[in-house]
Amino acid sequence: MTAVTSADVVVTGPAIGSSARKEGGDTLLTGRGRFVDDYTLPGMRYAAVVRSEVPHARILRVDVREAEQSPGVALVLTGESAAAHAGPIPHFIDPAARGGRYTDVRCLAVGKVVYAGQPVAAVVADTRRQAEAAAELVRVEYEPLPHVLDGDDALAADAPLLYEEWPDNVVLHNHYGTGDVDAALESADLVISDTIRIARSTTAPIEPRGYLASWDRLDETLTVYGSLQNPHQLRWMVANSLGLDETAIHVITARVGGSFGLKMQGHPEETLVCLLSKLTGAPVKWIEDRREAFMAGAREQVHRFTVGAMRDGRIVGIRDQIVANTGAVSAQAGWAMPNMSATTLASGYTVPNVQAELHVVVTNKPPLNAARGFGKDSAHFVMERVVDLVARGLGLDPAEVRRTNFIPAGQFPYRTATGLNIDSGDFPGLLDKALAALDYDALRKRQADLRTEGRHLGVGLAFELTPESADGPGSFVSGFDVTTVRMTMTGKVTVYTGVTTPGGGNDTGIAQIVSDELGVPMSWITVVQGDTERCPGGFGNFSGRGMVTGGGSAALAARDVRAKIATVGARMLAVPVDEVEVAHGYVRAVGDGRTVPIPEVAAAVVTRAFAIANEVEPVLEATRAYKPGNIDHVPDERGRIQPYPTYSSCLHAAVVEVDAETGQTKLLDFVMVHDCGTIINPALVEGQAYGAIVMGIGAGLTERLVHDAQGRLASDRFKSYLLPRAGDLPTIRLEHQVTPSPFTMYGNKGAGEAGVGGAQAAVANAIEDALAPFGVTVREVPLPPPAVLALIDEARTK
Amino acid sequence: MITKDFTYHAPTGLDGVVSVLAEAAGDAVVLGGGTMLIPDMTHGRTRADVVVDLSRAGLSGIAPGDGEVVVGATTTYADVLADDRAPALVPLLRVMAGGVTGGPQIRNKGTVGGSASYANPSSEVPACLVALGARMRLASASGTREVEALDFFTGAFATARRPDEVLAALVLPALTGTSVGYTKLKHAESSWPIATAACVPGPDGALRVALGAVAATPLLVTVDRPDAGVADPAWRAHVREVVDAAVTEPWSDVLADGEYRRRVAPVAAARSIARALETGGEEETP
Repeated sequence: MTAVTSADVVVTGPAIGSSARKEGGDTLLTGRGRFVDDYTLPGMRYAAVVRSEVPHARILRVDVREAEQSPGVALVLTGESAAAHAGPIPHFIDPAARGGRYTDVRCLAVGKVVYAGQPVAAVVADTRRQAEAAAELVRVEYEPLPHVLDGDDALAADAPLLYEEWPDNVVLHNHYGTGDVDAALESADLVISDTIRIARSTTAPIEPRGYLASWDRLDETLTVYGSLQNPHQLRWMVANSLGLDETAIHVITARVGGSFGLKMQGHPEETLVCLLSKLTGAPVKWIEDRREAFMAGAREQVHRFTVGAMRDGRIVGIRDQIVANTGAVSAQAGWAMPNMSATTLASGYTVPNVQAELHVVVTNKPPLNAARGFGKDSAHFVMERVVDLVARGLGLDPAEVRRTNFIPAGQFPYRTATGLNIDSGDFPGLLDKALAALDYDALRKRQADLRTEGRHLGVGLAFELTPESADGPGSFVSGFDVTTVRMTMTGKVTVYTGVTTPGGGNDTGIAQIVSDELGVPMSWITVVQGDTERCPGGFGNFSGRGMVTGGGSAALAARDVRAKIATVGARMLAVPVDEVEVAHGYVRAVGDGRTVPIPEVAAAVVTRAFAIANEVEPVLEATRAYKPGNIDHVPDERGRIQPYPTYSSCLHAAVVEVDAETGQTKLLDFVMVHDCGTIINPALVEGQAYGAIVMGIGAGLTERLVHDAQGRLASDRFKSYLLPRAGDLPTIRLEHQVTPSPFTMYGNKGAGEAGVGGAQAAVANAIEDALAPFGVTVREVPLPPPAVLALIDEARTK
Repeated sequence: MITKDFTYHAPTGLDGVVSVLAEAAGDAVVLGGGTMLIPDMTHGRTRADVVVDLSRAGLSGIAPGDGEVVVGATTTYADVLADDRAPALVPLLRVMAGGVTGGPQIRNKGTVGGSASYANPSSEVPACLVALGARMRLASASGTREVEALDFFTGAFATARRPDEVLAALVLPALTGTSVGYTKLKHAESSWPIATAACVPGPDGALRVALGAVAATPLLVTVDRPDAGVADPAWRAHVREVVDAAVTEPWSDVLADGEYRRRVAPVAAARSIARALETGGEEETP
């Protein structure tokens, strides 16, 4: 029998709910984080991509002769030759499987190009400089075709067709919602119709995309290092497009320097870099440059809506016709985002009659890529503008119109008109906290005082409902995930999970959960993510799923291991198993306080499997999947499915002062009250929320991707695409409200995505409020100074 | 990546610089702080056979002289900000340098002479030099000449500098007025300037205002003093009239079209005057 100690047990509080330091934070701060560009393999070569300079054209000839003679060049690949070796890239979400249209997407264009920036050829050379120099020597001869850049224009009967096998430029056409909107509008005291345009913006992570692929000619296996969100799906995708067996591909996710949806797979360069390695027999690296990264669109929509409300502020019906410009088709998931704009439309309001019609149209712009918010942001923007317009039309306070229409706190789960089943929430509670944080009444008084001095202070409110942790039937958008918890015989724990982190810190949160569930200190735990050979098959990160699915499955696996530790520890302490607790690295007899260190118990399981550990299967490892509740794919009587287990919510308030002479907006204050249910790590949730809020502020004020008449990106640097900097921002004030979800392991809901649409709407509403004396109506975002001045002019000339 | 090969020279004196430029016969580019040239070369917008780096040429520093201040071409924004004499000698450049965006990286590398030579319409240095009545000292193998700032800026990204010349220094007449005023309008911290106005009152009290970023080259206007105060609508209308007459071809770029610049140029002008008259301007952060 191993010696039983009664050493002092260092008791600390539970890890869950604490702001535990970020895993690997010291590594990042000291510049030792290993990102994809830090990986170097022997004999590695570099790729450069030749991109179309025209928006729409047939490719007549690709002349690679001069490029092939350029120094250091190993291979110049054209679309035709790539197509001989690689098939189409499978879609992350196939539009055809959602009632839309399919088209082949290739890693290099074949036959014609459909946007400026589309890859048409690739060069592999000994150095990146040689590759880029040779890429400049590839001559592509085009026969120009008419092009279309605007979504409405693309719907015109005589619009140029991007995909000639389609009858039009519509990738998806769908209707959403229930109720009799016509009757509701007929009965309404106030009916407003208007148009809202949400311009194209982008996510701009600090680290662009990058891949390093290494084909082994001897054993015919492929190893791929990448800055990725979904390594297992990428493995499947590359296996499909290159005709390889999935088991011959090993995907390793490097540390990711931000992603926000951009690094979900489906990009042409993923297949391309793997193919280039296979064809050259050498490791090939490609790192996206900033101008390439700027091509990725995040959102672009036009909403033409009609809303009806009663005199007391109740909104009784909404009709919305949405045209979403997704650019060219990509195999990435971006095209599907507007689907969520329509589905999320009525947000957290009890609007009984909602009808949305969505056209997702293709144009000769670069593709949209999945982006934080995933279309939900645009729904919030429109809905929060609608609520403000109703308040204005009825002469009511916008805060009170929100309160009037909120789903009451006691009515959850609540089925919305578009079929979402909101798990829980307390939306009026969010509003109360936000108004208190603002000192709303005093603020309105100050606003009135300043107006007498000719100054324009504005307050904007915006509610946001964030469906999270999606499951899309028949796709790799999965609502569950898988985690393995493995304890060594020294008690150290490695957690291998199918979820990945884009840098947000779900690895830390998962370690916190395992620490509490398994009863070991955080410092004993290592979390491994993103490696398809080491981690169980999972789905990576998107849709705020990391802590719901990764955390849930880690908890189940940790509990299995803990049960064995408890059983064997109890035997060592000679007490019944229900009289021990496992915590902080010890198994402790509740009765007399004697303890045995977990490492000794773990060693006993392995070395005394036929003695002390006879009662357990001697493997301190468990793999478990976790499926949260509330997902329902059985269509209801109206054909609606319910793909989200949790719905986070938040209320934003922005205070601005607008300079009516220049149109400049100064953001003076920003409050967000956030409810993501049980919080595993407040500091990490807050960090994500700050980032999302700033992303929304940027998309509301200054961020706009501009294309010239030939579809070429004009805003391709941080001097022409304006992200907010610290000096543009006030100290953002965050408050929490905790309304646990009944459908997840800890009552936690998705976090990290909420903030974009609400912040965008709050600043837009604040600008309109500031300029109320002029009577302006905000109909577009972003609102840089020229747009604000134009609003004033428009109101003055009315 | 800069894909084109080039020859790199870093002469240790002005003589070396001008002899390289003479030999290169127009195929050379001059490297100051590199904040514009290096990105332009990286993106293939500028391709050159010869790069002449001024960093060792001894062209940095602020030197007061008889009735003038000589600012070396490679004096960085950080140099201006760090110089204790700057508030007295070059108050306008100091205020401008304090508002240069891009953080320490840009302020430590970017040079006053480099910005002038690049002549980006959406930049601050050209209009400041015009406001100050600066003379641009140009050196070549055949000697040195001075060109008035107003004549130096000939168009967007174009100056009177010949390819065999280097901008060696900026000669600023000693300030005679009471104070200067500076206003910069931009969309966000990261934005290029959209409209700038530098007001340098003359010894006679005339209010000279140089407008930057609103046209291809700086525009110099003179406006009446606001006898009834800077808020007087009549005086504001006068400023607008004067500025409107000057802004015949407003600059347009991806951030702001010409119409917006035309709208806000008089606002910037009036505010710069207000600052010059009311606050002394020196401590004003734009």
